[in-house]
Formats: sequence, C-alpha cells, structure tokens
Amino acid sequence: MNTKVTIAGVEFKNPIITASGTFGFGKEYSEFYDISVLGGICTKGLTLERREGNKSPRIAETNMGIINSVGLQNPGIDGFIKEDVPFLDSLDTVVIANIAGNTEQDYTALAEKVSAIKAVDMVELNISCPNVKAGGMAFGVLPQSVENITKAVKKYCKKPLIVKLSPNVANIADNARSAENGGADAISLINTVAGMAVDYRTRKPILANVSGGLSGPAIKPIALKMVHEAYKAVKIPIIGMGGIMCAEDVLEFMIVGASAVQVGSANIFDPQAAQRIVNDLTTVAKSCNIDNISDIVGTLKWQ
Amino acid sequence: MKDIEFTVKEIKEIASGIFSITLFSDEELPPMRCGQFLHMEVKDDALPLRRPFCLYKFDEHSVTLIVAVVGKGTKKICAMKSGEKVRAIIPIGNGFMPAPEHKKIALIGGGVGCAPLFALKQCYPDKEYKAFLGFSSKDNIVLYEDFKKEYDVVLSTDDGSAGEKGYVTDAFKRHLSEFMPDIILTCGSENMLKAVAKVSKELSVPAYMSGENRMACGVGACLVCTCAVKQKDGSVRNMRACVDGPVFNIADLEL
Repeated sequence: MNTKVTIAGVEFKNPIITASGTFGFGKEYSEFYDISVLGGICTKGLTLERREGNKSPRIAETNMGIINSVGLQNPGIDGFIKEDVPFLDSLDTVVIANIAGNTEQDYTALAEKVSAIKAVDMVELNISCPNVKAGGMAFGVLPQSVENITKAVKKYCKKPLIVKLSPNVANIADNARSAENGGADAISLINTVAGMAVDYRTRKPILANVSGGLSGPAIKPIALKMVHEAYKAVKIPIIGMGGIMCAEDVLEFMIVGASAVQVGSANIFDPQAAQRIVNDLTTVAKSCNIDNISDIVGTLKWQ
Repeated sequence: MKDIEFTVKEIKEIASGIFSITLFSDEELPPMRCGQFLHMEVKDDALPLRRPFCLYKFDEHSVTLIVAVVGKGTKKICAMKSGEKVRAIIPIGNGFMPAPEHKKIALIGGGVGCAPLFALKQCYPDKEYKAFLGFSSKDNIVLYEDFKKEYDVVLSTDDGSAGEKGYVTDAFKRHLSEFMPDIILTCGSENMLKAVAKVSKELSVPAYMSGENRMACGVGACLVCTCAVKQKDGSVRNMRACVDGPVFNIADLEL
C-alpha cells in the first residue's frame, strides 16, 4: 500500500498534513508522538511583526464543532526563525509556512522572507482568516482580489505556493479559478466558516470578538461540497480540509478531489489524532482494495 | 504531558451538583505537582473539546478531581459510571511553586476553588500552613473535613451559617496577628481573587492564583486560553493559561 502523494513537485510520505493554527509549530505535539510520521505540518499563521491576537474568550464549543477567534497571535517571522525553525528543520516531514498580513506589501515581504528558510518546503497564503480586522479575509472574498494577491505574492515566493480559500464567499469555484489564474501551485480549502455563539442568560456573545470561525465535524459536509466544486473548476492540486476526524474522512475528501488533506480541530480534541489517522489510513485503504492512495483522487462517481 | 486512558474508580456527589471523581491508571502516572491539571474527554461526539480539571489528590496510579456541574460537558462527565474508561492528558501547567524563602504559606480558597490548594502539603511538606476556606453558606461547604485532617483551617461563610461570618479575605485579615504569611496561594471566584489581590498589595505579601479560562487543546498549541500577563519589562503579553499557567502572580494579571 503506497501512501505517497506529490503536490507541486513536493513529495509527502502520506496525505496527512496538520492544519495551520491547530498544531502550533509542532513542538507541543512532539511530546505525544514522533511527528515525523506526518505527511506534513502547516505552521501557525505568520505575520511580519509579533502579534498578540484578540481578547479572550477566544473559543466557544458548539454541537460537533468549535468557533475560535484567536486572531493570528504569533511570534512574528523573526521570532519564528529564531525559536521554531531549528526544530522544524530537524523533522523528516514537509513543512508549510502559513503567511498572513494586512497589506499586499506584508504578504510579498513575508513570501520573500519565508522563501529563504531552508526548512520551509511550501508556502500557504492565508487570505481567509475571519478573525482579523484588516487584510486576512478581505483579500480572499472577491475573485479579482484573490487573483491579484496571488499574482503579487507569486513574484516573490520561491517555494510552491498554496492559496488557502475561505468558504465565506459567493462561489467557491470562481475563487479557486482566480487562485489558479494568479499562478497558485495548489489551493487548500476550506478555512473556517464564519459563525457565532450566544449565551442566552447573559445575552452576550461567548467570544470577546463577537464572532469567529467554525471548525470541526460540523463543517465537513460543507467542506466536501466545496472541494468537489473546486476540483471541477481547476487543474492545480487541492488540499482538502474541514472537520476531518478519521481515516475514512480522508478518503472521502480525496475521492471528491483532494490530493492531500489537512487535519485541524481533531488535533485540538485529541493530541494523538493526526498520528491515529496516519496509522488507520493504510488499514482502511487496504480494506477498499486501494494500492496507491493517489489513485482515488477525484474518483467520485456521479451522473 | 501524557495522554492516558484512565478507569473511573469512584464518582460521588459531595454537595449539590459537586462531584468527587477518582480515576485509576494501570500505567504509572508521570510526576505531578499541586496546582497542575488534567484535560479530560467528554465522550460525547457533540461535545468535542476536552475539559480541564485541577488535581485534588494524586498518587502514582490515581487522581481525584472535584467537578462542579456547570454545563452539558460536566453533566456528562459526572454521569460516568465506575469501571468506565476515559482519556485525559496529564499533568498540565506550572502548578504552585513556592520558593525556598516562602516558609509560611496562607491558602485562601473559595468554594470548589479550594480543591487545587489541597495537595500543597504533600508537595511541600516542610512549610508552615494556614488554610482559609470560604463558602457562600453552610449547605455549600465542601472539602472542609479533608482540609482539617491536613491543615490548620479557618472556615468562613458569607452568611455566617457556619464558621466565621463574612468573606474569606476578611477572615484572613482577622488572623494576621497570629499568622503573617510570606506568600498567599489562592483559587476561587473572580470577586474573591480581586479581594485577595487587594490584600496582597496592602500587605506586600506576594499572591499566586490558579486561574481559569475557556480552553481548547490544553497543550499550548491553539492559543485560545490566553490571558494578558504583565511581563518583567512592563509590557503586557497574552500568555497561555494552560502551559504558561494556570498559576500566575496575581499582581501581573488584570482582574
């Protein structure tokens, strides 16, 4: 059973990547297992300067999901290079740096900086964070702005560029095509679904930020549909995500068109989730007579 | 930190809506410190987040938690049966760490907030202690009998239905002539903690509190449980309640 997948020339030992914001920079989870078993790790969203993020509370649990409003708290690119890159460099797994900013210049400067880091194999462009006031999702809503920012970043990015798409848009296929037209080497979707939670007793929102991004099993059906639509719209590879909890979920995402997947909230629910999914994937795939995991990408039977 | 499968050994309701839960592990548990906590699954697909509980009592193979039913998750947890399996990450956080020069320690606990203070003597047996336990009224008293076995205890209730009448911080102040601590270790309601912060400042006696915040991963990765903490250079940074805390110097927090 071959679990290898290749995206934009980068080889992953298996299609399981931990999603940005749910895995820190890997250190915390390495206390629980050897994280080199993962296909890849996507870092917490990085900005040029250190950021403190939003006020607390930043998390609300809802049925089969969570809503977060962390707001890109991170050590900044220089802090990342100093504190986290040496550890990431020691791992035998693909490292994807997730970058975010307020302006086009922020994104291009970051793309240039992360491209120079040897440990970074790919760059994920975060234009879909619902939790920051400026930039973030503002670049990711209108198809034209997706294309423009992708084009601008592509000029400075010397590593394969993945554009992470927001589900909070009119037509996901249009945005996927815009990323492709802008020169993206791959796309990843979906980021969190905008949502809120309210306490009926206090009549206050649970989150200090009022609203945030919903993730977890609650959004899986939305994510599957959007990956399917994006797959029909573009030729570049897709990294699918949204509520993946088990190996069976991974196969579903690959069948609708994902070449690899990201596991996010599941890490938060269970520190060993990503490792468990990697281990189970071989067994589940074998039970479906799959010899090559990449053979099932886009094999959905419909019509 | 380790993710361990425990067996529920005993669950009993020790006061209305407050349960004592003892978990057993065949595997020897990692070393634990008073003020640290564990992060336990709810075993309900609809409630995916784990729940943090401080360690009340612990030894090499078991831990006892004090859990108040405050929502769906704690309700489900307190409805577990003995023999049931449940996973938890243990131990998490810094815990209480009095320095060698802190020889006289005042414990100030409010309600179920008394729980994280109980194991101090087990971890630091060579200190002198006095415990001040405050409750709203007689019917809400918990853990008092356990504390009495280990500590010199001053009990107080807001309504005077048991022990000294009034707030626990007032009881603490009344006993200062006989017990002036080098350090205060505390846990309880926000209002109680504000009062402790005030008295700590007045007396110039440092106070460390175990705080609480809505939490998700419990291992320091997701950054949702952060609180604003004053740094040595005067700046304020958002630190993780789970692994940078849950114990902070009360003077560094905005209460």
